Amino acid sequence: MMENEYFFLRNIHKALGLAPDNDRSKEQYPELFAAPDTRKILHRVRNRTAEERNELVELLRTNAQALGIHLHPAESEADAAAIVVEIIRSREPEFSHTKHVILHDHPDVAALQLWKRFTREAVTVHTTFSSDHELREKTIASFIGITAPAIGVAESATVIQLTRPGQPRSTSLVPSIHIALLRRDKLVADLEEAYTLLREEGRLDSMVFISGPSKTADIEAQMVHGAHGPREVHLIILPSSAGPPMAATGD
Amino acid sequence: MKTSSPSTYREAAVAGIDSAQLQKSLQGLQNRFGKGAMELWAGMADQEMRDRVKESRMKTFEHLDIVLAELAKNVRARGGQVHFAVTAQDAVNYTLAVAKKNEVKRVVKGKSMTSMEVDIDPALEQEGIEVVETDLGEYIIQLAGDRPSHIIAPCIHLNRNQIGRLFTDKLGIDFTEDPPTLTMAARKALREKLLTADMGLTGCNLACAETGMISLVSNEGNIRMATTMPRVVVALMGMERVVATMAEHRETLQLLTRGAALQKLSTYVSFLGGPASKDDPDGPREFHLVIIDNGRSRILADPEFREVLACIRCGACLNICPVYGKIGGHAYNSPYCGPIGAVVTPLLDGINKHADLCKGETLCGACKDICPVKNDLPRMLSALRHKLAYGSDRWNTRQHNPAEARAFRVWRLLVTRPFLYRTLIGLGRIVQRPFIGKEGTIRKMAGIAAGWTAGRDLPPVARRTFHQLWKEKYAGNRPTAPTIETPEEK
Repeated sequence: MMENEYFFLRNIHKALGLAPDNDRSKEQYPELFAAPDTRKILHRVRNRTAEERNELVELLRTNAQALGIHLHPAESEADAAAIVVEIIRSREPEFSHTKHVILHDHPDVAALQLWKRFTREAVTVHTTFSSDHELREKTIASFIGITAPAIGVAESATVIQLTRPGQPRSTSLVPSIHIALLRRDKLVADLEEAYTLLREEGRLDSMVFISGPSKTADIEAQMVHGAHGPREVHLIILPSSAGPPMAATGD
Repeated sequence: MKTSSPSTYREAAVAGIDSAQLQKSLQGLQNRFGKGAMELWAGMADQEMRDRVKESRMKTFEHLDIVLAELAKNVRARGGQVHFAVTAQDAVNYTLAVAKKNEVKRVVKGKSMTSMEVDIDPALEQEGIEVVETDLGEYIIQLAGDRPSHIIAPCIHLNRNQIGRLFTDKLGIDFTEDPPTLTMAARKALREKLLTADMGLTGCNLACAETGMISLVSNEGNIRMATTMPRVVVALMGMERVVATMAEHRETLQLLTRGAALQKLSTYVSFLGGPASKDDPDGPREFHLVIIDNGRSRILADPEFREVLACIRCGACLNICPVYGKIGGHAYNSPYCGPIGAVVTPLLDGINKHADLCKGETLCGACKDICPVKNDLPRMLSALRHKLAYGSDRWNTRQHNPAEARAFRVWRLLVTRPFLYRTLIGLGRIVQRPFIGKEGTIRKMAGIAAGWTAGRDLPPVARRTFHQLWKEKYAGNRPTAPTIETPEEK
């Protein structure tokens, strides 16, 4: 242990009235890191009926609207692709004159087959393959970033984006517009359910909870969208995946 | 932190009260967020949540050595580096060494009160490193060479016209008073800085020991940028800003964003605890967590004040405090203002040095009611006053005003001698006559008493005292009071 760490912890021992060279450990206090019993929550999340899922989508819709998120329910992948194409066509880049779009390397995003859609237009589509060394430049050049978050939370209109190989952090951050694709079965009711699923993930890399477009109210408390992050957020709800529910959680 | 002499507190308070702009902003802020938070707490389905979080905070403190060691272990397991800084200077030196080793030219900062507490900016700038605040409010403050006046709304004291002129001057844009246009100008200027910085420097809202990750909340996205785009990320963390488990993290986070801005969640909550993994195409190559004591262990050691460490820095108490609502944040002369600042600033930086802060608050109790973790700030303000009145070895505090203490000793002498007291009251009744104005109050006193009437009127000594009235009206026909028997007395 480094010297300053030793003195630091010794000061805490002193402050707590313990012997300075105390070596008490977490094993002596099992309740300190006790894991909550989440079986009930997991059972609830994994066994939602179609009707309950619809209710969650409705709750999400209400909360998303309040935060300025554009919510688009999609019947199919083709439907979702049409929505995305329409957004790309109707918006203009903020920081450049050319339309670049960057996509996460994720099956739900790949299913849109966007590269096929723009053969006659000046739209360049990039994918964030982890082997690509020019990703930073491509991300900065893009005006739209498309991701498929691991979890959606209806109560707070949040999407949870986990960092994974091929799914970098900047895709949902640096472009002016963020489009998130969420499968219905990835939507949970509240943060407690979301944290439970995150625990099931095991070891987590960095992650971010995103609830709406970037905003600030620093000038005379007037709300303005688009401070540093995306000024526009679209959330497209895809049908449940064909596989087992909550496939992303690994079971 | 700079010393707040009595005059700086008073002068800044008077300046705050005299500023129509500030009064309007503060009133708007308090009407919206102060009232809003109280309504939110009252309507919350889970009424035990606040007590539960407080309890878990206090439990964590009792085991802080274990929890911090676990946090350090798990951050290191992620490849992050952890430095324990006993003093502010230690934290500054370490951060500076990291910056030098990585040949950092530009640092982008996420909003961090702790970075202000340890005063890191001058140290970096002295090394020729450009330091850029990236929170819009903090950026405006930095451009203006000013100081923040609210924890979450740093430039609440500036209006759109002042900010418009500042941007014309510093960013070279055409003058405008339109907040969206001004925000877009800052967005453009700061994007360039954020994308090209070598180091991101942030605070830490809540670290989670179990996962070895810190979490940072922001609405603007500047903190995400500052922790994603630069090569090196350094996070400065007060040692009390830690929870043991994710379950505790969730509830504490929810109280933080609700207390701060009535949000179920802030727009972004970023979690990170190490450098980017091998397969991550972006994210920092180095991650450093600096855990800072800087006087906190002394607070931890004192059962009277330990509770204040449970504060989650949401700033809700600023949004309801009648004193902050009038004088604004500058009078507190500290990164931590409002009721929480009035308690924590003296404890971190010297009780004598910041003597005016605890005396300026009214002890009305609003801050305790609004506090998401129900911190008893009024109790601690009283305890600080006690230290100032009698001195304290533990806090290295000397009696603040010996003359006042002597005056109270004389007062005690008088009030415990009825004859002397009544004689003096009678005398006062005569002496005061020439000073009573048309409104029937004393508006101006002379000598050392002049200060008392500078901002208020003194009611004169009544023609007859309560004691005399009682004697005249009720003496002789005193009703017999019913005796109430309690079971224990039987």
